[in-house]
Amino acid sequence: MGEVKEKKTNYSTETPEEIPGVITTTTSAIHNFLKKTKAQDLINWGRKNSLWFMTQPMGCCGVEMIATGCAHYDTDRFGIIPRNSPRHADVMIISGYVTKKYLPALKRLWEQMPAPKWVLAMGDCSISGGPFYESYSTVQNIDEVFPIDVFIPGCPPRPEALIQGFVELQEKITAKKDRGTDY
Amino acid sequence: MDARTIIESLTGKFPEAISEAGIESPIRIQAYVDKDKAKEVCQYLKDSLQFDHLCSVCGVDYPQRNELEAVYHIASYDHAVVLTLKARLPRDSPEIESIVPVYWNANWYERETYELYGIVFKNHPNLKPLVLPEEMLGEWPLRKDYEGFPNKTARNLV
Repeated sequence: MGEVKEKKTNYSTETPEEIPGVITTTTSAIHNFLKKTKAQDLINWGRKNSLWFMTQPMGCCGVEMIATGCAHYDTDRFGIIPRNSPRHADVMIISGYVTKKYLPALKRLWEQMPAPKWVLAMGDCSISGGPFYESYSTVQNIDEVFPIDVFIPGCPPRPEALIQGFVELQEKITAKKDRGTDY
Repeated sequence: MDARTIIESLTGKFPEAISEAGIESPIRIQAYVDKDKAKEVCQYLKDSLQFDHLCSVCGVDYPQRNELEAVYHIASYDHAVVLTLKARLPRDSPEIESIVPVYWNANWYERETYELYGIVFKNHPNLKPLVLPEEMLGEWPLRKDYEGFPNKTARNLV
Protein backbone atom coordinates (compact mmCIF):
# COMPACT_ATOMS: atom_id res chain seq x y z
CA MET A 1 0.00 0.00 0.00
CA GLY A 2 1.10 3.50 -0.62
CA GLU A 3 3.41 2.74 -3.50
CA VAL A 4 2.30 3.56 -6.98
CA LYS A 5 3.79 1.27 -9.59
CA GLU A 6 4.20 2.48 -13.10
CA LYS A 7 1.73 0.70 -15.31
CA LYS A 8 3.38 -1.35 -18.03
CA THR A 9 1.77 -1.45 -21.41
CA ASN A 10 2.39 -3.97 -24.15
CA TYR A 11 1.89 -1.53 -26.94
CA SER A 12 3.70 1.60 -27.90
CA THR A 13 2.29 4.40 -29.96
CA GLU A 14 5.66 5.61 -31.15
CA THR A 15 7.35 2.63 -32.78
CA PRO A 16 5.97 -0.77 -33.75
CA GLU A 17 6.94 -3.72 -31.62
CA GLU A 18 9.71 -5.82 -33.19
CA ILE A 19 8.77 -9.49 -33.58
CA PRO A 20 10.93 -11.64 -35.89
CA GLY A 21 9.04 -12.86 -38.90
CA VAL A 22 6.02 -10.67 -38.23
CA ILE A 23 5.27 -7.31 -39.81
CA THR A 24 3.77 -5.01 -37.17
CA THR A 25 2.31 -1.57 -37.51
CA THR A 26 0.34 1.01 -35.55
CA THR A 27 -3.13 2.39 -35.93
CA SER A 28 -1.91 5.83 -36.86
CA ALA A 29 0.39 4.34 -39.48
CA ILE A 30 -2.58 2.55 -41.04
CA HIS A 31 -4.58 5.79 -40.99
CA ASN A 32 -1.73 7.71 -42.59
CA PHE A 33 -1.43 5.06 -45.27
CA LEU A 34 -5.16 5.03 -45.96
CA LYS A 35 -5.26 8.81 -46.34
CA LYS A 36 -3.13 8.52 -49.46
CA THR A 37 -5.32 5.89 -51.10
CA LYS A 38 -8.75 5.80 -52.67
CA ALA A 39 -10.08 4.10 -49.54
CA GLN A 40 -10.19 7.51 -47.87
CA ASP A 41 -12.90 8.53 -50.33
CA LEU A 42 -15.08 5.71 -49.08
CA ILE A 43 -14.31 6.59 -45.44
CA ASN A 44 -15.14 10.24 -46.09
CA TRP A 45 -18.39 9.23 -47.77
CA GLY A 46 -19.34 7.44 -44.58
CA ARG A 47 -18.23 10.31 -42.39
CA LYS A 48 -20.04 13.00 -44.30
CA ASN A 49 -23.30 11.10 -44.18
CA SER A 50 -23.26 10.68 -40.42
CA LEU A 51 -22.59 14.16 -39.09
CA TRP A 52 -24.03 13.86 -35.62
CA PHE A 53 -23.98 17.20 -33.85
CA MET A 54 -23.85 17.95 -30.17
CA THR A 55 -26.93 19.57 -28.65
CA GLN A 56 -25.09 22.31 -26.83
CA PRO A 57 -27.08 25.52 -27.15
CA MET A 58 -25.25 28.63 -25.97
CA GLY A 59 -27.60 31.45 -26.88
CA CYS A 60 -30.64 32.25 -28.94
CA CYS A 61 -29.09 30.44 -31.93
CA GLY A 62 -29.42 27.33 -29.82
CA VAL A 63 -33.19 27.53 -30.24
CA GLU A 64 -32.78 27.43 -34.02
CA MET A 65 -30.32 24.58 -33.61
CA ILE A 66 -32.82 22.56 -31.61
CA ALA A 67 -35.55 23.42 -34.11
CA THR A 68 -33.27 22.10 -36.85
CA GLY A 69 -32.91 18.85 -35.00
CA CYS A 70 -36.66 18.40 -34.61
CA ALA A 71 -38.95 16.49 -36.92
CA HIS A 72 -40.09 19.34 -39.16
CA TYR A 73 -36.78 19.79 -41.00
CA ASP A 74 -35.99 16.05 -41.04
CA THR A 75 -32.20 16.42 -41.01
CA ASP A 76 -31.96 12.65 -40.80
CA ARG A 77 -32.07 12.60 -44.61
CA PHE A 78 -28.57 14.15 -44.52
CA GLY A 79 -27.47 11.90 -41.69
CA ILE A 80 -27.52 14.82 -39.26
CA ILE A 81 -28.78 13.70 -35.88
CA PRO A 82 -28.67 15.63 -32.60
CA ARG A 83 -26.80 13.85 -29.84
CA ASN A 84 -26.81 14.67 -26.18
CA SER A 85 -23.28 13.59 -25.29
CA PRO A 86 -20.04 15.00 -26.69
CA ARG A 87 -18.71 11.44 -26.81
CA HIS A 88 -21.35 10.53 -29.41
CA ALA A 89 -20.95 13.64 -31.52
CA ASP A 90 -18.93 14.49 -34.63
CA VAL A 91 -19.84 18.16 -35.02
CA MET A 92 -19.79 20.91 -32.43
CA ILE A 93 -21.87 23.99 -33.24
CA ILE A 94 -20.71 27.16 -31.51
CA SER A 95 -24.16 28.67 -31.30
CA GLY A 96 -23.63 31.93 -29.49
CA TYR A 97 -21.25 34.31 -27.79
CA VAL A 98 -18.33 32.66 -26.00
CA THR A 99 -17.62 34.36 -22.71
CA LYS A 100 -14.25 34.20 -21.03
CA LYS A 101 -15.79 32.12 -18.30
CA TYR A 102 -17.40 29.62 -20.67
CA LEU A 103 -14.37 29.06 -22.93
CA PRO A 104 -12.68 26.48 -20.64
CA ALA A 105 -15.90 24.43 -20.51
CA LEU A 106 -16.24 24.64 -24.29
CA LYS A 107 -12.66 23.47 -24.75
CA ARG A 108 -13.35 20.58 -22.41
CA LEU A 109 -16.41 19.56 -24.43
CA TRP A 110 -14.33 19.75 -27.60
CA GLU A 111 -11.64 17.53 -26.09
CA GLN A 112 -14.23 14.95 -25.08
CA MET A 113 -15.38 14.48 -28.66
CA PRO A 114 -13.71 11.59 -30.50
CA ALA A 115 -11.89 12.35 -33.74
CA PRO A 116 -12.75 12.96 -36.54
CA LYS A 117 -14.62 16.06 -35.44
CA TRP A 118 -15.63 19.36 -36.96
CA VAL A 119 -16.80 22.77 -35.73
CA LEU A 120 -19.41 25.08 -37.18
CA ALA A 121 -19.64 28.71 -36.10
CA MET A 122 -23.32 29.61 -36.11
CA GLY A 123 -24.57 33.16 -35.85
CA ASP A 124 -22.96 36.59 -35.71
CA CYS A 125 -22.05 36.23 -32.04
CA SER A 126 -19.69 33.33 -32.55
CA ILE A 127 -18.21 34.81 -35.75
CA SER A 128 -17.37 38.32 -34.54
CA GLY A 129 -19.09 38.91 -31.21
CA GLY A 130 -22.31 40.30 -32.67
CA PRO A 131 -24.00 42.77 -30.34
CA PHE A 132 -21.41 41.85 -27.70
CA TYR A 133 -18.59 42.90 -30.03
CA GLU A 134 -16.72 45.19 -27.64
CA SER A 135 -17.84 43.56 -24.44
CA TYR A 136 -15.36 43.07 -21.65
CA SER A 137 -16.30 39.45 -21.12
CA THR A 138 -16.52 37.88 -24.58
CA VAL A 139 -13.75 36.09 -26.45
CA GLN A 140 -12.87 37.50 -29.86
CA ASN A 141 -11.56 35.50 -32.83
CA ILE A 142 -12.91 32.13 -31.82
CA ASP A 143 -11.44 30.63 -34.99
CA GLU A 144 -8.00 30.88 -33.39
CA VAL A 145 -9.16 28.48 -30.70
CA PHE A 146 -11.15 25.95 -32.72
CA PRO A 147 -10.60 24.78 -36.32
CA ILE A 148 -13.84 26.15 -37.71
CA ASP A 149 -14.87 24.81 -41.11
CA VAL A 150 -18.04 26.71 -41.92
CA PHE A 151 -19.25 30.13 -40.75
CA ILE A 152 -23.02 30.55 -40.87
CA PRO A 153 -23.96 34.24 -40.60
CA GLY A 154 -27.34 35.38 -39.35
CA CYS A 155 -28.91 36.63 -36.19
CA PRO A 156 -30.00 33.93 -35.71
CA PRO A 157 -29.68 31.93 -38.95
CA ARG A 158 -32.74 30.10 -40.17
CA PRO A 159 -32.74 26.32 -39.77
CA GLU A 160 -32.41 26.12 -43.56
CA ALA A 161 -29.18 28.14 -43.29
CA LEU A 162 -27.85 25.72 -40.70
CA ILE A 163 -28.69 22.79 -42.97
CA GLN A 164 -26.93 24.63 -45.79
CA GLY A 165 -23.91 24.96 -43.54
CA PHE A 166 -23.95 21.23 -42.94
CA VAL A 167 -24.16 20.60 -46.69
CA GLU A 168 -21.14 22.89 -47.21
CA LEU A 169 -19.29 20.89 -44.58
CA GLN A 170 -20.20 17.67 -46.38
CA GLU A 171 -18.80 19.10 -49.60
CA LYS A 172 -15.60 20.08 -47.83
CA ILE A 173 -15.23 16.58 -46.44
CA THR A 174 -15.81 15.10 -49.90
CA ALA A 175 -13.16 17.41 -51.35
CA LYS A 176 -10.77 16.57 -48.47
CA LYS A 177 -10.52 20.27 -47.62
CA ASP A 178 -11.98 20.11 -44.12
CA ARG A 179 -9.95 21.14 -41.10
CA GLY A 180 -11.15 18.24 -38.95
CA THR A 181 -8.72 15.78 -40.57
CA ASP A 182 -5.04 16.13 -41.45
CA TYR A 183 -4.50 15.09 -45.04
CA MET B 1 -46.43 56.92 6.58
CA ASP B 2 -45.94 59.13 3.58
CA ALA B 3 -42.67 60.26 2.06
CA ARG B 4 -42.29 63.40 4.19
CA THR B 5 -42.75 61.53 7.46
CA ILE B 6 -40.16 58.96 6.47
CA ILE B 7 -37.59 61.63 5.57
CA GLU B 8 -38.25 63.50 8.81
CA SER B 9 -37.92 60.32 10.85
CA LEU B 10 -34.68 59.43 9.10
CA THR B 11 -33.04 62.84 9.44
CA GLY B 12 -34.26 63.14 13.04
CA LYS B 13 -32.68 59.84 14.00
CA PHE B 14 -29.37 60.36 12.13
CA PRO B 15 -28.82 64.12 11.83
CA GLU B 16 -25.08 63.79 10.98
CA ALA B 17 -25.17 60.69 8.80
CA ILE B 18 -28.06 61.61 6.48
CA SER B 19 -27.55 64.50 4.08
CA GLU B 20 -29.24 65.90 0.99
CA ALA B 21 -32.46 64.10 1.76
CA GLY B 22 -35.14 64.93 -0.76
CA ILE B 23 -38.51 63.98 -2.12
CA GLU B 24 -38.68 63.38 -5.85
CA SER B 25 -42.34 62.34 -5.92
CA PRO B 26 -44.82 60.90 -3.42
CA ILE B 27 -43.40 57.44 -4.07
CA ARG B 28 -39.67 58.15 -4.55
CA ILE B 29 -37.35 59.63 -1.92
CA GLN B 30 -33.59 59.82 -1.84
CA ALA B 31 -30.83 60.51 0.64
CA TYR B 32 -27.06 60.40 0.94
CA VAL B 33 -25.66 58.47 3.87
CA ASP B 34 -22.28 58.58 5.53
CA LYS B 35 -20.42 55.43 4.53
CA ASP B 36 -19.59 54.44 8.10
CA LYS B 37 -23.23 54.62 9.14
CA ALA B 38 -24.82 52.82 6.17
CA LYS B 39 -25.43 49.58 8.03
CA GLU B 40 -26.96 51.27 11.07
CA VAL B 41 -29.26 53.35 8.85
CA CYS B 42 -30.38 50.18 7.03
CA GLN B 43 -31.00 48.48 10.37
CA TYR B 44 -33.14 51.41 11.50
CA LEU B 45 -35.02 51.44 8.19
CA LYS B 46 -35.80 47.76 8.49
CA ASP B 47 -36.69 47.67 12.19
CA SER B 48 -38.53 50.96 12.71
CA LEU B 49 -39.73 52.16 9.30
CA GLN B 50 -40.82 48.80 7.81
CA PHE B 51 -38.45 49.10 4.85
CA ASP B 52 -38.10 45.35 4.49
CA HIS B 53 -37.40 44.90 0.79
CA LEU B 54 -33.94 45.59 -0.65
CA CYS B 55 -34.45 45.94 -4.40
CA SER B 56 -30.86 46.33 -5.56
CA VAL B 57 -27.32 47.33 -4.71
CA CYS B 58 -25.30 48.91 -7.48
CA GLY B 59 -22.46 51.32 -8.07
CA VAL B 60 -21.86 54.52 -10.00
CA ASP B 61 -18.48 55.89 -11.05
CA TYR B 62 -17.73 59.63 -11.05
CA PRO B 63 -14.15 60.11 -12.27
CA GLN B 64 -14.31 63.94 -12.22
CA ARG B 65 -15.22 63.98 -8.53
CA ASN B 66 -12.83 61.07 -7.87
CA GLU B 67 -15.67 59.25 -6.20
CA LEU B 68 -17.61 56.03 -6.43
CA GLU B 69 -21.14 55.77 -5.16
CA ALA B 70 -22.81 52.70 -3.74
CA VAL B 71 -26.55 52.93 -4.38
CA TYR B 72 -29.15 51.00 -2.42
CA HIS B 73 -32.79 50.87 -3.49
CA ILE B 74 -34.90 49.95 -0.50
CA ALA B 75 -38.66 49.57 -0.70
CA SER B 76 -41.42 48.88 1.74
CA TYR B 77 -44.41 46.58 1.65
CA ASP B 78 -46.35 48.77 4.09
CA HIS B 79 -45.68 52.20 2.56
CA ALA B 80 -45.79 52.87 -1.17
CA VAL B 81 -42.33 54.47 -1.12
CA VAL B 82 -38.97 53.50 -2.62
CA LEU B 83 -35.90 54.99 -0.96
CA THR B 84 -32.71 55.54 -2.96
CA LEU B 85 -29.88 55.51 -0.46
CA LYS B 86 -26.45 56.55 -1.73
CA ALA B 87 -23.05 56.47 -0.11
CA ARG B 88 -20.03 58.38 -1.42
CA LEU B 89 -16.76 56.44 -1.40
CA PRO B 90 -13.22 57.55 -2.26
CA ARG B 91 -12.15 56.15 -5.61
CA ASP B 92 -8.74 54.84 -4.56
CA SER B 93 -9.99 52.76 -1.62
CA PRO B 94 -13.76 52.23 -1.87
CA GLU B 95 -14.80 50.36 1.24
CA ILE B 96 -18.18 50.17 2.90
CA GLU B 97 -19.71 47.99 5.57
CA SER B 98 -21.71 45.06 4.17
CA ILE B 99 -25.45 45.11 4.83
CA VAL B 100 -25.86 41.33 4.51
CA PRO B 101 -26.62 41.01 8.28
CA VAL B 102 -29.59 43.35 7.71
CA TYR B 103 -30.82 42.31 4.27
CA TRP B 104 -29.66 38.77 3.44
CA ASN B 105 -30.38 39.16 -0.28
CA ALA B 106 -27.68 41.83 -0.53
CA ASN B 107 -25.17 38.97 -0.71
CA TRP B 108 -25.11 38.50 -4.48
CA TYR B 109 -25.77 42.19 -5.22
CA GLU B 110 -22.67 43.13 -3.28
CA ARG B 111 -20.61 40.42 -4.94
CA GLU B 112 -21.58 41.74 -8.37
CA THR B 113 -20.94 45.35 -7.38
CA TYR B 114 -17.55 44.21 -6.10
CA GLU B 115 -16.52 42.48 -9.32
CA LEU B 116 -17.73 45.29 -11.61
CA TYR B 117 -16.69 48.40 -9.61
CA GLY B 118 -14.19 47.16 -7.05
CA ILE B 119 -16.20 48.37 -4.08
CA VAL B 120 -15.06 46.24 -1.14
CA PHE B 121 -17.86 45.30 1.23
CA LYS B 122 -16.31 44.76 4.64
CA ASN B 123 -17.44 41.72 6.68
CA HIS B 124 -19.20 40.20 3.70
CA PRO B 125 -19.58 36.45 4.28
CA ASN B 126 -18.30 35.38 0.84
CA LEU B 127 -16.84 38.24 -1.16
CA LYS B 128 -15.74 36.67 -4.45
CA PRO B 129 -16.77 37.30 -8.08
CA LEU B 130 -20.30 36.27 -8.94
CA VAL B 131 -20.46 36.15 -12.74
CA LEU B 132 -17.05 37.16 -14.07
CA PRO B 133 -14.12 34.73 -14.06
CA GLU B 134 -11.64 34.99 -11.20
CA GLU B 135 -8.79 36.21 -13.41
CA MET B 136 -10.75 39.35 -14.38
CA LEU B 137 -10.71 40.50 -10.75
CA GLY B 138 -8.96 43.85 -10.55
CA GLU B 139 -10.02 45.09 -13.98
CA TRP B 140 -13.29 46.60 -12.67
CA PRO B 141 -14.96 46.67 -16.11
CA LEU B 142 -17.80 49.11 -15.36
CA ARG B 143 -15.55 51.92 -14.16
CA LYS B 144 -15.34 54.78 -16.63
CA ASP B 145 -11.57 54.54 -17.13
CA TYR B 146 -11.67 50.84 -18.04
CA GLU B 147 -9.55 50.31 -21.14
CA GLY B 148 -9.79 46.56 -21.53
CA PHE B 149 -12.35 46.55 -24.32
CA PRO B 150 -10.98 44.43 -27.17
CA ASN B 151 -11.30 47.33 -29.56
CA LYS B 152 -11.50 46.22 -33.19
CA THR B 153 -9.78 42.93 -32.63
CA ALA B 154 -12.11 40.73 -34.68
CA ARG B 155 -9.82 39.87 -37.57
CA ASN B 156 -12.54 38.56 -39.85
CA LEU B 157 -14.36 41.91 -39.82
CA VAL B 158 -11.42 43.96 -41.09
